[in-house]
Amino acid sequence: MKRCIVVGKPNVGKTLLVLSLAEYLKVKAIEITFQDPDGTKYSRTYAIGIALGELVGPRPHETRCLQSVVLQLPTGKGKKVVEFVDTTGLTEYIHQDASIRKAMAQTLAAIRPAQLVIHVMDAQEAGREYASPAAGDLDRQLAVFAGSRGGYCIVANKMDLPDAKRGLARLQRMFAGYTIFPVSAVAKTGFREVKRHVVRNL
Amino acid sequence: MLAFEPRNVNPVLAGLEEGRLSPVEALEALRDSSDLSASQRGQEGTPSNTWRLNEALAELDSLIGLHKVKALVREIVAYVRIQQIRAARQLSAEPLVLHMVFSGNPGTGKTTCARLFGKMFREMGVLEKGHLVERERADLVGEYIGHTAQKTREQIKKALGGILFIDEAYALARGGEKDFGKEAIDTLVKAMEDYRDKLIVILAGYRDEMTTFIQTNPGIRSRFPIHIEFPDYSTEELLKIADLMLKKRDYRLDLAARARLEFILSRRTGSGNEHSGNARLVRNIIERAIRRQALRLVDKQQLTREELMIIRREDIGDDF
Repeated sequence: MKRCIVVGKPNVGKTLLVLSLAEYLKVKAIEITFQDPDGTKYSRTYAIGIALGELVGPRPHETRCLQSVVLQLPTGKGKKVVEFVDTTGLTEYIHQDASIRKAMAQTLAAIRPAQLVIHVMDAQEAGREYASPAAGDLDRQLAVFAGSRGGYCIVANKMDLPDAKRGLARLQRMFAGYTIFPVSAVAKTGFREVKRHVVRNL
Repeated sequence: MLAFEPRNVNPVLAGLEEGRLSPVEALEALRDSSDLSASQRGQEGTPSNTWRLNEALAELDSLIGLHKVKALVREIVAYVRIQQIRAARQLSAEPLVLHMVFSGNPGTGKTTCARLFGKMFREMGVLEKGHLVERERADLVGEYIGHTAQKTREQIKKALGGILFIDEAYALARGGEKDFGKEAIDTLVKAMEDYRDKLIVILAGYRDEMTTFIQTNPGIRSRFPIHIEFPDYSTEELLKIADLMLKKRDYRLDLAARARLEFILSRRTGSGNEHSGNARLVRNIIERAIRRQALRLVDKQQLTREELMIIRREDIGDDF
């Protein structure tokens, strides 16, 4: 099965993106496989609404392990089965919590074997003035690390929020040459393009 | 962190875990190092695997003769390594298509080499298991319409993660248009595309038959980029093989026996004797000599260590 990994900074909406994509594809019950940094695996089946309530939240680092979801993407007459892997947010700085550091290492290790990388960014955040010039560093490094591969794309999330338009323009300048999809995971806009990109590149 | 907790094998990731590196620095470091993909595969790069790879290579080197084969194997090993490193450094890497055709007479080391390839590819992370599934026409071709595809697929399933070795592969194309062998070939070709990352197919057989087989099946020729020819052993090489076999079994030839063996081998090899069996012939001669020596000694009252080891001329015998 092809693997598509969803990466980005904490709290940019990676988990919400995956779950909303499942909802967009009319999945009602979703089986999520959790893989902890120490290698233990277990899976649970959620109704979408419950998964959204339990796994998504306003605090950073809601996700602390690899959470994978198998989705069937319709292509023409058939279907493509893709495993979407949701990951722990990557911070710029050294995180003080050892378990989160471990989870971040797990995320980095999972990037290379994946066939497709979706890099999620927060368009609203980008629309505001960056607090420090170093603030965009992680996204830049991540783009260089994963970006030379065929299926790499950037998802500018939170397009429903104010300032996001300005942020998108800035991201398009900063990451010129990369494919950028404006998406709102909450409002479910832009999913058609992302879906098409995934299908084409796997 | 507990002291005995297993550390991450990758130094960069370990640094990230232990709080020595920030994710930004880790990403930078990973980009510059080729270690990541290696440690992720959990294969190449870890000392024990390199060691086992070297062991397999040493085993190959210990085979007598086969100089061209050995050189080619080194070439393939180097090629696979470099493609892996290139992929890790984000350079475009050739897809690893490693299906092979082995042509050579019986007893020239085809199966032995295939087995070693399985080992090596496992250690290098190309194949998951590296086992060898040895099959021939009868295992693939069915008895009625539709049976063949089913049978072939079954064998392919068994070989996933390893090598499917098809002996006398030319037999698949021998029956003409209506033969089910064609169906087996088609199924095989399809599986090679479907399981590109999990399966290596080796077709083996006599040189002349394999040449015609490949020339008449263009689809096969283009899908098997590696052709290895196994030449017949020379008489000297066969003698060396005999010495090696005997040494492993704690036996020794006396001078007359050696001369006799050399005579048999020189008569049976060379032009006009392509199907003599090569190394297998040597093994048969030796195994029979060992039995005859046993028969010669079994009634003796007192046996020295020396007597138990020596194979004499009469043990080799005049037939063969």
